Amino acid sequence: MGSGLSDPGPEGPLATFKILIAGGFGAGKTTFVGAISEVRPLRTEEALTSAGVSHDDVAGVENKTTTTVAMDFGRITLGDRRVLYLFGTPGQERFWFMWDDLSCGALGAVVLADTRRLADCFASIDYFEKRRLAFVVAINCFDGAHRYDPAEVRAALDLRPGVPVVLCDARQAESAKHVLIALVELILDSTPDEDHEIRAAPAAPAAPPLV
Amino acid sequence: MGVGGKWVDRDSDPVVRPYAVTGGRTEPADGAVIDLIAVVMNSGRPAEPTDQLGLGPEHRRILNLCRHPATVADVASDTGLPIGVVRVLLADLIQQGRIKVLPGRPAGQKPSAQLLREVLHGLRAL
Repeated sequence: MGSGLSDPGPEGPLATFKILIAGGFGAGKTTFVGAISEVRPLRTEEALTSAGVSHDDVAGVENKTTTTVAMDFGRITLGDRRVLYLFGTPGQERFWFMWDDLSCGALGAVVLADTRRLADCFASIDYFEKRRLAFVVAINCFDGAHRYDPAEVRAALDLRPGVPVVLCDARQAESAKHVLIALVELILDSTPDEDHEIRAAPAAPAAPPLV
Repeated sequence: MGVGGKWVDRDSDPVVRPYAVTGGRTEPADGAVIDLIAVVMNSGRPAEPTDQLGLGPEHRRILNLCRHPATVADVASDTGLPIGVVRVLLADLIQQGRIKVLPGRPAGQKPSAQLLREVLHGLRAL
């Protein structure tokens, strides 16, 4: 095991964060998570039972009571008190109800694109745009695939100007790290700085001194 | 297939339908769904005779794992149980006061710029 978090010390509460790793089937989600996770790629399964029936189309398979969906997740400890979790989203569209659970409270998402099957990532991009979740598109440079210029991919995906497009090799930790940095920089850019907010606020009248 | 009279799969775990370990319950007892990255920990409170629900081996495994803080996702991965099952079992233990949820950012609340900068620095230092 040994995958537990360290005990909370006096330095304040532990903060956990999650980033989703999306993309079409075979785009490299499991590889990406495994490359940068500090622990062996953790896998967990979600079971669909009657709880999932309202979302999951079971027409014709009514006798099938459970289906398991494998979900990859990885963990990156950043200093003592900050832990980042990566969740590979299940690819099949019928498991999309799980995305709502996964994306709730997520920092943002990485959409892995395979230029040989670019259309496979349309659905993920649509989802994150609708949910207004920050995302970056990372072109996974597969061996033997034609190298496209990020600008060409951006045009093909009809991305909004603010969405970064980066090249990556999902097998390399360093490359995966740069994709995550691009995403966090994007999120930070759209987050108001507390210090500025305080300075911009009108000065509050001085509190009367305590007697 | 059968080893010692038990069904085992290729990883030699007993074959049990996922929600059998919750007694067929698919919803947490208190109706609250714990966030995947909420941090839980064993509260250290011992079992009391007044506890309504007997604990199964999976409950005890979770208590044991949670001697150190762990997220719901960590518990699912370490026990090999589906997340839905882990949520039901954790809710039982929370109701009994055996597991506590450590305070964190409320789900859906965006982290501050300061926290994001810490994440960024942490990633760059990897």
